[in-house]
Amino acid sequence: MSWELLLDPSLVRLAVSMAVPLALASAGELLMERAGLLNVAIEGIVTLAAAGAFLGAFASGSAGVGLVVGAAAGAAVSRLLAHYAVAWRRDQVTVGLTLYVLCVGLASLLYRMVVGVRLTPPRVETLPPVPLPWLGDLPLVGDILFRQHALVYAAAAVVGALHGFLFHTSLGLRLRAAGENPVAADTVGVDVFGLRAWAALAGGALVGLAGAALPFTLTGTFTEGIAGGRGWIALMLVIFGRWTPLGAAAGALLFAYVEAFQFKLALLSKAVPPQFLQMLPYAFAILVLVRAYRGAEAPEALGKPYDREART
Amino acid sequence: MTARAVARWQAAAPYAVGLVAALGVLAVLVAALGGDAPAAVGSLVRASLGSAAGFGQTLNKTAPLLFGSVAVILGLRAGAFNIGVDGQIYAGAVAATGVAFLAAGLPKLLAVPAVLVAGAAGGALLGAVPGLLRARAGVSEIFVTVMLNFIALFFVEYLSTGPWNDPMAGEAITRAVPPSTTLPLLGVRVGAHAGVLLALAAALAVWWLLYRTVFGYEVRAVGDNPTAARLGGIPVGRTVALALVASGALAGLAGAVEVSGFHYRLILGLSPGYGVMSILIAVLSRRHPLVAIVASLGFAALVVGTDSLQRSVGLPASAVFVVQAAVLLVLLASEGLRRAP
Repeated sequence: MSWELLLDPSLVRLAVSMAVPLALASAGELLMERAGLLNVAIEGIVTLAAAGAFLGAFASGSAGVGLVVGAAAGAAVSRLLAHYAVAWRRDQVTVGLTLYVLCVGLASLLYRMVVGVRLTPPRVETLPPVPLPWLGDLPLVGDILFRQHALVYAAAAVVGALHGFLFHTSLGLRLRAAGENPVAADTVGVDVFGLRAWAALAGGALVGLAGAALPFTLTGTFTEGIAGGRGWIALMLVIFGRWTPLGAAAGALLFAYVEAFQFKLALLSKAVPPQFLQMLPYAFAILVLVRAYRGAEAPEALGKPYDREART
Repeated sequence: MTARAVARWQAAAPYAVGLVAALGVLAVLVAALGGDAPAAVGSLVRASLGSAAGFGQTLNKTAPLLFGSVAVILGLRAGAFNIGVDGQIYAGAVAATGVAFLAAGLPKLLAVPAVLVAGAAGGALLGAVPGLLRARAGVSEIFVTVMLNFIALFFVEYLSTGPWNDPMAGEAITRAVPPSTTLPLLGVRVGAHAGVLLALAAALAVWWLLYRTVFGYEVRAVGDNPTAARLGGIPVGRTVALALVASGALAGLAGAVEVSGFHYRLILGLSPGYGVMSILIAVLSRRHPLVAIVASLGFAALVVGTDSLQRSVGLPASAVFVVQAAVLLVLLASEGLRRAP
């Protein structure tokens, strides 16, 4: 195998597109985790949002409607999670896993109720490439980065904006304080409960958008396994990126590259059974995890319910 | 009523609420499909508990759910979330099927235990990976178990469509295992296999392990307060790792029982989400292995009942996840409301 294959422009281009759901989902998760909320339902939310987006576009004929439905579904489920975790102080992993099951069930239930059983699954239009003026004409880089579909640019903007928000605004500082030390934050007047609720809405919407991106960028169809672990991987990317948006986005590109590489390899090689190639991203994830955990420091109050009256 | 009796009724009340929630959600779904909701609820109960054959099916579903939920419980008690029950079920099923093929000539009395041991070993192997990584590198077992689910599933797809494929079936199904390796039936009319008895024994064994052995004490100590456990001289990492290995072995047994008791072969859809259901059951049972027996039976009845509604009113199979998760959400909410200021 030649090394040129690893840097094949069409492979890198595919990787950039496949990084979108991972980048958006990890950005959303990161926003919630920075506020102290662990969203373990993420894989389910991605699946439900994908179903909602598909059905929204299927019914209306507009991808925009689909994206809005997906984002709304993500925001709603995450807000529900936040209510259990913040107001009722339930264990976040337990609630998250329960919502994960609910969302996965709901996604395929809604799809089956609306679409029914058909021989050929219905399709929605996938997003067309939008070449950027001037930038799109650059050699090589233009084709890889600037002749992509609109969600690629949106995801890049989201990651940049999230970085700016978290580390360069006072609201971002307060949000991080709510996730690191809610007692201290509350003492100086930060609205811990309110911030966590808003982080859930905004972060959930981003996770929903990630799910919504799947039917519009992959095959134009919805299947029960459409998320394919991308939600879990996004959850992992937050650790990989040390709870920074830029780090998580870099991880998203890395994983998308492995995923795209696996696709290409499956087309080229007949010697290895395809299932072993399909295992690659997941096996890679386990290897990366071991490294990512070395010295990883989560927000101090991540996953812990904040109780004003508790003794500390 | 004495104060104690009142307390006991109060503890049971959320379960009644959960049952009502389950039936309520089901009724809404059936009505949304244009079906007759009360009749559907009636037929659900009849199909799962009201007839000998239906009850047999419920028992057959109870077996993997009970194995799976006590597996999750054992992990939870050590403070570890084993989300990999599905993968461990598949690993157990692969090992059990492989050994069953090899054990074709053996008498049943040897072949069946060999298959079961293989299943436990397969599951334990998959449980050892997150166990070791958590103990050695501090990696969250949640991610590792989830990733292994995908890897195990692809491996089963490879085996069932590739080397072990039954060419007559034309699907992701392997050849049948030899009849000498299969579990006996409990009664021809009921149609339940002995797997449920094994699962029952496993639940009792986990209870005994947790409450009557030193290891179980250490597991509970580590799960309740790892810092205190470490200061008390308990090897925290090793205890968690061993708990995950044992948890994997229990889930692997579910896979072996599904192969040798129900399907008689390895199939790609062997576990229709037993792993995630097991998590719900474990939480619902408040991490108690004996309560899990009842909860598993209830969830199994729900699975069989919804399955019958799939045939009669066209309720999609995924409805069962919605119903089960809704039950748990209602319970968690009732807990939350009780403790809310």
